[in-house]
Parts: sequence; structure tokens; C-alpha cells
Amino acid sequence: MDIKAYISSGIIESYVLGLASEEEVSILNCIRKNNVEVEQAIAEAEKALEELADIQAMAMPVSLKEDIWNKLNAENLVAFGDPSEGKETESSTLDHNIERNSGEEPEEVIVPRKSYNWAIAASVLLVLSVGANVLLYQQNNETKDKLTKTSSSFDQQQASLATLQDKWRLVQNPAIKTIPLKGVENKPDLHALLFWDQLSKAVYLNLEQMPVAPKGKQYQLWAMVDGKPVNAGVFPLDAKADGTSKMLDIPKAQAFAITLEDEGGKDVPTLSELCVMGGI
Amino acid sequence: MSPLHNLPEETLILLLKKKNQQAFSYLYDNYSEALYGVVCRIVASSEHAEEVIQDVFVKIWKHVDLFDAEKGRLYTWMISIARNTALDYRKSKAVLNEQKNQPLSNIVNSKEEQDQTQIEQSAKADFIGFRNILDKLKPEWRILIEMAYYEGYTQQEIAEQLDVPLGTVKTRTRAAFLQLQQLLKEYR
Repeated sequence: MDIKAYISSGIIESYVLGLASEEEVSILNCIRKNNVEVEQAIAEAEKALEELADIQAMAMPVSLKEDIWNKLNAENLVAFGDPSEGKETESSTLDHNIERNSGEEPEEVIVPRKSYNWAIAASVLLVLSVGANVLLYQQNNETKDKLTKTSSSFDQQQASLATLQDKWRLVQNPAIKTIPLKGVENKPDLHALLFWDQLSKAVYLNLEQMPVAPKGKQYQLWAMVDGKPVNAGVFPLDAKADGTSKMLDIPKAQAFAITLEDEGGKDVPTLSELCVMGGI
Repeated sequence: MSPLHNLPEETLILLLKKKNQQAFSYLYDNYSEALYGVVCRIVASSEHAEEVIQDVFVKIWKHVDLFDAEKGRLYTWMISIARNTALDYRKSKAVLNEQKNQPLSNIVNSKEEQDQTQIEQSAKADFIGFRNILDKLKPEWRILIEMAYYEGYTQQEIAEQLDVPLGTVKTRTRAAFLQLQQLLKEYR
């Protein structure tokens, strides 16, 4: 998002004037958390309204202060008593207790029993709270598991979608020539697709139906140019089985073929390991 | 006249949560005149303004626990309470004056409304002591701030009334703010 444009749209002023829509406010609150510039612009605009209020302050009738205080009292919105007063009462009760306790025989002690009740109540609450925590913790873990699973299956689907999109783009491109490479006599089931950009001369290869190369081996593409095989690159080992890989550019060819070679490829094809081929 | 605000806001918030007389006194002595200034500009009659400012204090007092420091400063929050309370009051009064739900356009022409405007204008004269820094703004910018901030129009309504596009209202409001910030800086 272009923050400068966002700020100069006037959204911050709408916000501090209380005129932004709910949706605008929630977007703004999200952005301000992550963007110092926006946060600062809001603070400045608010500060301006504060200073404006300071400058435009007006004297009030003196009696109002008392009126409002009485109103708060009448509505029971005021904390009881003065804090210093409270302390006094507390300490005097304490004194009284001490006096009583200093008598011959301490009378029945109420305070401990009271705190015993509290202890029971507290333990019950503690047990409940621990239970609730365990439950919530389990639920949380389940949710996390589900989320991980969902997101990994989402990733897989995204990846296969991307693969299809890549292929689709090639097929769509009018400059691309699609050349099917068919399995040779002893490997009739094999099949690959080659996409050859007639303008850029780029070559893309998709191993449609080819087994994964055995360990230590790698598929290598050859262009037949005037009867001679020219290296067109090895199919990357890390490429996905159904993915399309870009090979070496080939300006001119009459046919293409794939052999299975030792990892890294060779300078000349091992004809006994020929898998598929196709003419233009 | 000018408020002191000599306590840091965090301290004031803690103080207010105690809900005792000391907290009230501090709040009143430091902020009441500024908040009253906001209220007066909106309700425009001293008698009503006194009624509204009392409500404002009750609301601040009652709801201070709901104040969220992450979303802005306490003073800003108090100003917006003052403004909203006054705007609500203004609206409810307009409703009372509005005879049997007439459309707004009729009211503008109605005799009663004219009388009311006159009363308000003479009431406004009560407040000639206003130091109006807004007068120094470009007139076409000032009207936006006044309509939006003190009269409670939405930007859509302002666009319609002034017959300018909504986008222009927004960018002009921003321009007005920038000029206001500049004026305030000079004032300091």
C-alpha cells in the first residue's frame, strides 16, 4: 500500500473528526499498528484538536464544580469516604482487637476460621481454573493441528495450481510450438511434452509420463540439428515430477530426443538409453 | 483560562480510577474550561451548554474504565465525549423543533427554524469572548471544519450541501488541518 497516498487521501482527518466509517476505522487501526508514519499523523491531528480546545477554552460558572460533584455523589459514582479516613478506621479496629486479645484468655478466634473458608474457596477455584486451562490447552492444540493440516493441503493445492498455470501459459502463447515426444519401440508407454518458443528460442520440457530417474541417473534432452545431436540440457533433479523446466535455448532443430544418462549429463547421447523422441 | 495539564496522562488515569474528590477536582480544574469551550461551540447557548457539560463530566467519570490508552490520549478521548454529547443534544433539540418529521429542506425555510437560528445567533453572541483561531483559516477550508466538527455533518452531507465532490471534501479537510496545525505552531 502506498502510505503517502493513504495519508493524503484525508482519511486520518476523517477519523479524528469522528466521520470515518466503521470499515475505514478498522483498516486504519490495523495500519496504525504497523506503520509509524500513520500512527504519528493520527497523533498530530489529535494533538491539533487538543490544542484547539485549549485555545478555545471558556470560563465556566463557578457554581458548576459543586453541582457536578453533587451529581456524581447523587448517582453513587464516588468512592466511599476519604482514603485517609478509611485507614484510620482500620487501624482503630486493629487496636481494639489487640486490646481484646491482651486480655486473660483470648476469646474465640474468628479470623483464622474465616481465612480457612477462604482457603477452601480458593482451592475450589484453583481446581476449576486448572481444569479449564487443561481443557482449553487441549482444544487449542487440536485447533493448531487442524490449522497445520489445512495449511499444508492448501500449500499442495497452490503448488499444483501453479504448475498447471505455468503449462497453460505455455500452451496459450501463440509463439510456442508444442512437440510431443513419444516412447521408442521398447518403451512405448513413455511420453513427454516439449514447448519451443519460436521467437525467443527457449525450450521447456515436461516429463508427462516418464518414471523418476533412478539414483545417479538424469534425463538429458537432445536437439537433432542437421543430423547431429546437440545438448539441450539435463532435466533438473530437484524439479517436480509434473513440473515444467526450462532447458537450454535451441535456435534450430529438426527433432528432439531424451536419453537417460549418468547424473550431470554427457557430451554425446548414449543411444541405447534413448527413451522418447519427436520430430518437428 | 488555559488548562494546566500538569499531570502526565497515565497518572491522571490512575487518579480518575480512584473516583475520589481529589481526582474530580484535578479533572475539573484542568480540563473543564477546554471541554466547555467545545460544548459551547456546538450547542451555542450558555444555558444548554451548562446542562451538557454536566453530562459530559458524568460520562467521563462513569466510563473512564473503558478508556483504551492504545487508541489515543485521554484528553482526545474526553474531547470526543464532550463533542458527541453536545452533538447528540443538538440533534435531539433539532428533533424537538422539527414539526412532525418534516424533511430537512422544509425546515430550513420554516418560520420556526428561522426564529431558532436567530435565538442561536444571539446566544452565540454570549460567547464573543471566543478566541477564534479558525477565523484565520481559508474560508472554504474553515467551513469544512465547522460543519464537520461543530455541526456534526457527515462528509457526504457536506459534499451535497456545498456541491463539491466527496473526494474534494476529504482532501480539503486535510488541507484545513495542515493549515490549522501551522497556525497552532505559530500560536505556541
